[in-house]
Amino acid sequence: MSENISRRGLLKVLGVGAGAVAAGPLLAACAPSTSAPKPADSEAALKDDGVKEFAITSWAYNEANTKQPLQDEIDKYTAAHSGVKISTPSFPYNDYLNQLLLQVRGGTVVGAMQLDVAWLATLAATGKLVDLSSVAKGVDYTDAALALGKSNNVQYALPWTQAGIGILANQEIMTKAGITKAPATIDEFEQAMTAIKGQGVTPYAAMTKPDQLKDIIPWMWTFGAKLVEDGKITIGDEASVAAVTWYKKIYDLKYSAPDVNRVDARALFSQGKCCFYEDAISGKSTVIKSSPDKDLASKVTTIARPVAKSGDKPQHLAWGQVVAVFDGKGVAAAADFAKTITSETSYTTPWFTKAGLPPTTKSGLAAPDITGDKYSSDFAKNIAAYSTADPFWVYPQFSQMEVALAQAVQGILIGKTSVQDGLNAAKAQMTSLMS
Amino acid sequence: MTLQETRFAADAGAPVRPVPPRTNKPRRRFPAGAAVTVAVLGIFVFAPVYWVLVTALTPTNAVYEFPPRFWPRHVTLQHFTALVHTPVLLHYLINSLVVSIATAVLTVLVSAYTGYSFAKFRYRGRRSLMYLILASQMFPQAVLLITLYLVFSQVGLLNSYLALILSFTTFTLPLCVWMMKGFFDTIPDELIEAAKVDGAGQFAIIHRILLPVSLPGLVATGLFAFIRGWNDFIFALTLGGPDHLTLPPGLANHYIGEFETGWPELMAASLVVSLPVVIGFAVLQRYLVAGLTSGAVKG
Repeated sequence: MSENISRRGLLKVLGVGAGAVAAGPLLAACAPSTSAPKPADSEAALKDDGVKEFAITSWAYNEANTKQPLQDEIDKYTAAHSGVKISTPSFPYNDYLNQLLLQVRGGTVVGAMQLDVAWLATLAATGKLVDLSSVAKGVDYTDAALALGKSNNVQYALPWTQAGIGILANQEIMTKAGITKAPATIDEFEQAMTAIKGQGVTPYAAMTKPDQLKDIIPWMWTFGAKLVEDGKITIGDEASVAAVTWYKKIYDLKYSAPDVNRVDARALFSQGKCCFYEDAISGKSTVIKSSPDKDLASKVTTIARPVAKSGDKPQHLAWGQVVAVFDGKGVAAAADFAKTITSETSYTTPWFTKAGLPPTTKSGLAAPDITGDKYSSDFAKNIAAYSTADPFWVYPQFSQMEVALAQAVQGILIGKTSVQDGLNAAKAQMTSLMS
Repeated sequence: MTLQETRFAADAGAPVRPVPPRTNKPRRRFPAGAAVTVAVLGIFVFAPVYWVLVTALTPTNAVYEFPPRFWPRHVTLQHFTALVHTPVLLHYLINSLVVSIATAVLTVLVSAYTGYSFAKFRYRGRRSLMYLILASQMFPQAVLLITLYLVFSQVGLLNSYLALILSFTTFTLPLCVWMMKGFFDTIPDELIEAAKVDGAGQFAIIHRILLPVSLPGLVATGLFAFIRGWNDFIFALTLGGPDHLTLPPGLANHYIGEFETGWPELMAASLVVSLPVVIGFAVLQRYLVAGLTSGAVKG
């Protein structure tokens, strides 16, 4: 009575399977469209409905160094606001955006939420975020920080922390290599790398794996590339080709190493195996924790990204976190919580001292705890002050666009394609993702 | 064949290890090729486990040592003792056990009856139904996540054990039904005929005759479903909610962050929470092997 699968039967099954795979792209239609629906008037949308229960969705509540500080903020807020109850759903950072989008589709997400600034446009495109311009009015957020909470010129989020991705340096290695002042131009940077190479360490743990190769963007800016002009991708122009040619040159000279992403770079830096690498402001605490060198903290310094010619403005990619509010029950209470934790010094200062994340208001930045911290002050002065948002973040498909660019640059680094051809291919791919 | 004979035959079908006849022949030497193959496979299987163990025993500030050390210079148990102060892991472990065991039981129940129907009955639409079930295995599971999320959201099942159990069972059933069908195919029809002659009805045939004979197949099917429930990440993260997180998303939630990952702690936790399952598999592995290979040879 045994019965095996016939060849014809198997072909039928494979046909159905192939159909299922072919249907995959159709599901991409579930992704948010590129244009966000116009939100309702901010004050009307934030009318108090009397509901005092809401959620603060975050990844901060997952992580060891931010969970307790966030819980402290919630406890403090609920103690000061009778009747308020705050729940704390959380997801791992790496799955956060997908989980949020799914919850938005399911209509199950309400309240406030922590967002990476890179994700704001994608969430705004769902049409579920509330315009918080009336909440932000009168608060002394810095202009740069406030801009990070905007998408299509609508204030969809309030800035919680803002810095940039900047170059961290090991002062001890620099000194041993005879470098007495931070390299300010690309020529000086190359000379410094040559000297450091002689010390037997990797001079610059630049990103060479595709997952973090978006770090090429500020180097392209440094060489004068705009990347996007009048809504069109300009990658492949003279300046971007010059930037990638230089990036490949230092790779070929072994000033940078193959197969390095942020995690690898932190490992190299913490072990004293590289002198320069790029990270956000929190990178310092990560490398110190995993380093056998107990004095590493005193050796970590920041340098402004070297410029093409003296007098140019250093270029850095912005990095930050914002708090957005979803339309629904308890929207006014959630918006008030978002405003409080992002703007009141009694909340932002402990957030900095416990989690190491700097505030976004002028008064918050002027607090003695922040100004007295040399590393943070230097980071603010050298990096945050010159950081600019990734021009692709305004597109909901920014992630795929960055991947297209990163893969092209990696192909160039390993000699799979020429600089011009690689960037032209990236441009074509990225342009198709814009529409 | 009477029912008594049938039972005897059924007992004979159970996985009894045959006793080799005593002979004066010299023992065959283990061929060198086979030894090399086993060694290579052993390295392939155990090297990752070894690396997990080494990482768990390495102090945090030495984990990122470059180049990495195959033998740790210093050994510490601090990451294991830290688990005592992480009670949430027990919560994840209980969730994993509840969900995986329930998935295994539900899968075995449904696939046993369905497999029996496919193997021993002839009816219109049977073949189409069989292929349809197999075809459902061809869909990328991540694609179904959105649909399941929306459906569970509509019926209020989100953030519950039931959401996880139903979704895992959905994905394990196609293969398990075919596994059970293959197993029932190997059971001779004469066994059923003999039971009928002795006056047994369908209920008695399946529950008193076939299921006891099929124990290795049932265990293999159950273990397969258990593994599926135990290992899943994305469905458990999305459908279970914070109170029903199983170990994979729970560990990721707890140890993998935006800036840093607690690799040694994560490895220590992974080793400890894997122990109950490893022991369970060690006990049941003979059934697993017998069940998985039973349909492999056409008799």
